[in-house]
Amino acid sequence: MSVIECNGLTKVYGGTKALNNLSFKIEENKITGLIGRNGAGKTTLLKIIAGLLKETAGELKVFSEKPFNSLQVSANVIFLHDQMNLPTALNLKELLETAASFYPNWDRELADRLFDYFSLNPLQYYNGLSKGMKSTFNMILGLSARVPLTMLDEPTTGMDAAVRKDFYRALLKEYIAYPRTIIISSHHLNEIEDLLEDILLVNEGKEILHMPVADLKEWAIGIQGKTTVINEWTQNTEVIYTKSIGIDQSYVVVRNHFSETERQRARNAGIDITPVTSSDLCVYLTSKTKGGIDDVFNKG
Amino acid sequence: MIFNLDGTKPIYIQLSEWLENEILNGNFESDQKIYSQYQLAEIFNINPATAAKGLNILADEQILYKKRGLGMFVSNSAKEMILAKRKNQTLKRLVQGIVLEAGRLQVSKEELIEMIKTADIREAEK
Amino acid sequence: MSLTKVSLIEVVKKQYVYKLKAYSQVFISLIFLQLLAVLFSMNGVGSMGSTVGSVEVQASYFSSDFVAAFTMLWGFITAILITTKAYRNDDFVFVANRVSSNLSNAVFLLTTSVVGGITAMLSSYLFKVIIYYFFKSTPILDAPIELLLGIFSTILYVFLFCALGYLVGTLVQISKVFTVLLPAAFFGALILEGLSGKAGTVASVFEFFFTESSLVLFIVKIIVAAGLLFSGAFVLSNRLEVRG
Repeated sequence: MSVIECNGLTKVYGGTKALNNLSFKIEENKITGLIGRNGAGKTTLLKIIAGLLKETAGELKVFSEKPFNSLQVSANVIFLHDQMNLPTALNLKELLETAASFYPNWDRELADRLFDYFSLNPLQYYNGLSKGMKSTFNMILGLSARVPLTMLDEPTTGMDAAVRKDFYRALLKEYIAYPRTIIISSHHLNEIEDLLEDILLVNEGKEILHMPVADLKEWAIGIQGKTTVINEWTQNTEVIYTKSIGIDQSYVVVRNHFSETERQRARNAGIDITPVTSSDLCVYLTSKTKGGIDDVFNKG
Repeated sequence: MIFNLDGTKPIYIQLSEWLENEILNGNFESDQKIYSQYQLAEIFNINPATAAKGLNILADEQILYKKRGLGMFVSNSAKEMILAKRKNQTLKRLVQGIVLEAGRLQVSKEELIEMIKTADIREAEK
Repeated sequence: MSLTKVSLIEVVKKQYVYKLKAYSQVFISLIFLQLLAVLFSMNGVGSMGSTVGSVEVQASYFSSDFVAAFTMLWGFITAILITTKAYRNDDFVFVANRVSSNLSNAVFLLTTSVVGGITAMLSSYLFKVIIYYFFKSTPILDAPIELLLGIFSTILYVFLFCALGYLVGTLVQISKVFTVLLPAAFFGALILEGLSGKAGTVASVFEFFFTESSLVLFIVKIIVAAGLLFSGAFVLSNRLEVRG
């Protein structure tokens, strides 16, 4: 069953297209990483899924319903982000109690245990928390609510390395014990990569890739060698990124269409074949030019 | 074991190699039940689907076999299969690399063989 | 994970309880405002002195109308306040849609009107006690039935102002143009009427609501008017997005 079905979704914000004809499906009980640069449209997309914003064009179904103004969608979706507006008059304990009243699957014990583990003060107010503490509190809300669709936008903002690690583990344990559909948006793909099942890469409001994250590592390869040789090899393939090294060497990232024998021939021709890390690949795929920042400095 | 997270090798391949090592080391005997995808996910902090992928590689190679509803078990000839596979694939690839590098460094075949022999002696003396 | 089924009534109820807690500052401001109003009233609303022959009569006229007026103003401002982005977004942190958010706001404002109405009338008693001790004069006390009527009509007036404030607040949320437009229109009309010396729209609207002598008609008028104002706000806000 698809939890989210999105067809030609477009959102115009003051003249610019935050989302531009976006289409994808997200299946039940998968952890999907929503990856993209700043301003790629990730938050806008999540807000539309949560029913906070209304799409300009296209169709979006969440649990087979249009999310904008749908009470069913709101009851089955929780969306946490780093610019949350929580009622200023309630302290943290009261906020947890309020959340408990809204979500029938709320796990009070889990919430309390996480709360104690991260040494939050029940009498403190959300607005008085540091960025990292806010993110920690959001995480407690998100995990304890046990909502069928849990969306976390930049969940680790401001968290220190230890808390981030704890968070990833807590998320995974919760997911294993109570499978649910989870979408995490993040800049740190290398950190969340292992938690993910699928990756949805967006850029400038468009979908670039949507595939199992495990396949991403074989989707493209990096080849390095003499520029003349490399150019020969990359003639008929899609080049994702190029970089010249030294006088006559090049490093090129291409789609991985090569068979094992071709790879062997390449190696024999003095070409180094290396895998490309997922986060590097995402950077290459979403950069405006094939040469990246180097192109700015290459005037010639 | 902590996986090599620099991204050079897919996690599920590293996982299947780790499981192979567990079998080679004798931590799992024939017909013994191996970890479930959820156990593996917990141990290594990875997505259960990725863990399943690692298990399925071994199942496809018949190193593991599935029992419906019970999980995956170690095949009778698992050890032999792993050894044979590693000889054929891993070792072969490594040797190819060595030969290629030796060519670049203009090391003769005889020299190379001699080097392998000394490396082995050192290994034995340890 | 199986989906949760919710009903609108259920969600409105939960949101209402949540708002009573989350918006508690509103009631604190009420207490301060009413105390302030009592203090203002101490000056006396008006006094008149006249000399009849050799007898000089000084009459001071005290009224707790100030308190009622302040409470209505408070209702108006409170209603505007809860339409602002910060408050509106609070709703959507948890389970809500625009209908449930508006309905729970209306129920919340009704509650504030009831609290405001009762406390306004009770503070008029406080006021009367103060008058009694400080001025050694016996105030005219209402009969219980009149007190109840007083409370009831104050509640309705406050609620009317809440409804008006809610619509005004919603308009402002839709476009900031209204922050200038609405006061300009109101005061403009008031000044024009003052200049022309004729009773215009503003005056007739006030007259329509504040001089009704039939209780039933008064109730109907207020309920219909508040209903219209709220429905206007509901319709207008149904497309409002929740922007961070």
